[in-house]
Amino acid sequence: MRKTVIHLDNVKRYYLVGDFFVKALDGVSLDIEKGEFTAIMGPSGSGKSTMMNLIGCLDTATSGNIYIDGENTEGMNETELAYIRNKKVGFVFQQFNLLGKESALRNVETPLLYAGIKPRERKRKAMEALEKVGLKDRMYHRPNELSGGQKQRVAIARAIVSDPTILLADEPTGALDSKTGKQIMELFENLNEEGRTVIFVTHDRDLGNRCRRQIHIRDGIIER
Amino acid sequence: MFWENIKLALSAMKSSKMRTALSLLGIVIGVGAVVAILNLGDSASENISKSINAGGTDIVTIWTQPNERTEDVFDSEFAQTIKNSVDGIDKVIPQMMSSAAIRANQKSVGSQIMGTETSYFDAQKLEFDRGDSYTISQNINHKEVVVLGSAIAQELFEVENPIGKRVNFIMKSGIVKSYEVVGVLKEKEQSFTMSFNNSAFIPFNTFITKLEHVKVVSSYVVKTNKNYNTISVSDNINKFLDTSVGNDSYDSFSPAMITTMANEVTATLSLFLAAIAGISLLVGGIGIMNIMLVSVAERTKEIGVRKALGASPSIIRGQFIVEAVTLTLIGGFLGILFGSFISYAVTNIAGWTLTLSYKSFIVAVGFSMFVGIFFGWYPAMTASRLDPIEALNYE
Repeated sequence: MRKTVIHLDNVKRYYLVGDFFVKALDGVSLDIEKGEFTAIMGPSGSGKSTMMNLIGCLDTATSGNIYIDGENTEGMNETELAYIRNKKVGFVFQQFNLLGKESALRNVETPLLYAGIKPRERKRKAMEALEKVGLKDRMYHRPNELSGGQKQRVAIARAIVSDPTILLADEPTGALDSKTGKQIMELFENLNEEGRTVIFVTHDRDLGNRCRRQIHIRDGIIER
Repeated sequence: MFWENIKLALSAMKSSKMRTALSLLGIVIGVGAVVAILNLGDSASENISKSINAGGTDIVTIWTQPNERTEDVFDSEFAQTIKNSVDGIDKVIPQMMSSAAIRANQKSVGSQIMGTETSYFDAQKLEFDRGDSYTISQNINHKEVVVLGSAIAQELFEVENPIGKRVNFIMKSGIVKSYEVVGVLKEKEQSFTMSFNNSAFIPFNTFITKLEHVKVVSSYVVKTNKNYNTISVSDNINKFLDTSVGNDSYDSFSPAMITTMANEVTATLSLFLAAIAGISLLVGGIGIMNIMLVSVAERTKEIGVRKALGASPSIIRGQFIVEAVTLTLIGGFLGILFGSFISYAVTNIAGWTLTLSYKSFIVAVGFSMFVGIFFGWYPAMTASRLDPIEALNYE
């Protein structure tokens, strides 16, 4: 039997804007199993980013339960949520979100730093991750010395370095040209083949179609 | 984690050098002022002690304030009574005082005339430039001999050797008396009680029989025993005098006591000034808080990224507090250098000896750490409470 790594149970996320509620997510239930390659698709404003933030424990639901790797995140405080983000989730963002003053190596080391791993072990693991994304020779470069594709590879290395349960990518090719975007997509596919659970948020139909499973969101509910 | 935070703090400072330098300036000036004031306070009190103690710390002087009840008590025999009644006294030397104009070589100079015993010079640590003290037998035999203070000898004789020369005392009554110079004192730093340089000294017995025919001694100079604490001996003398003659008939004075008092005064004063300087440190602290708030605002995105990577609120808080403390500690160390330099410059100009106390350094480091934690706390809390999504989307 395959293991369920993400379980959403009637999750709602409302924002109070002025005097009325915006229903960003309005009752979403979903299971994602270990090793799946899932695309969350939908137009902008559909609620896909909200869903990603909830799965990534950057945000908490207004109601409903979210289980990450079997753990219910409801009622967790900031420190506990930070722990889940550190151990279970690897983020890849559209705008890379690298720490600008740090080298590629130190960027990749950062999640391990927060996990309390010793410097020597940190460096070893970070170098391993950089090697996996093909950037070992650039490890002492700073983000501003790297191309967009290289930056995203560093971000991916950073996301996989602590061997998280899920890899969460929010429009990871959105800021790249189509050729580089394709290479990054291939990298994600390779990582998935190694057994990693990948969730891919995109509004690009072609990229979405390359994922084995697609979830379409519109107006805060799952369409199909 | 701690070292990582220090590295982060240093790289943040490096990336905005000018801003860091300016906000450090407040701390440097504040800490510098505190260090300078504490050290200058110490140097000043050392200097004051030195000048008070010039006459010797083992001396207690008792000035008589005779009234009807006590005018018969304060005679030369009473010196022996004091010595026998109080422990820890080496010698009690009676001293008479008057004033006169001294004349020689057609020049004249106003002077204090002291009638005292031979041992007085030794007790007051007075040294001779020329000649020597009058002898004990000259005192017993009422000889008309005089030891001149350096200023008087200089004024009347200039380069000429005064030993063996005669000087005339012109008393207030108009009577003129002739004395032979036997010694000239070396110049002595002005003491709190006495101006030795402008005094002339004659044997005690000569004073009471030939110069003024008085019996009431104007002061007793008590030299305390080496093994006793001067202040406690002085207290015991006071107790004895209070019961025997009453506390309205004398004043006592000891350099040791004045030194203690003066030290207390300078300590209080420098503490007060340091507290005022501390206010500038407070102002510096506000500067630190300001730069830290700016730094947090500027690095909102970075904070968001760190949170997404699993930094807990306490880690973020730690990062910014360490940054603030690193900042203030650097300011503190520069302040110590700055304050030490000011202390050095001032003591050099004033001619004091510089005493740099490690206490002031500890105070400075402690204060700058406190300022860092205190004023770094609020910005650090602000950073740790940022919402991860809002922080990530911050442009």
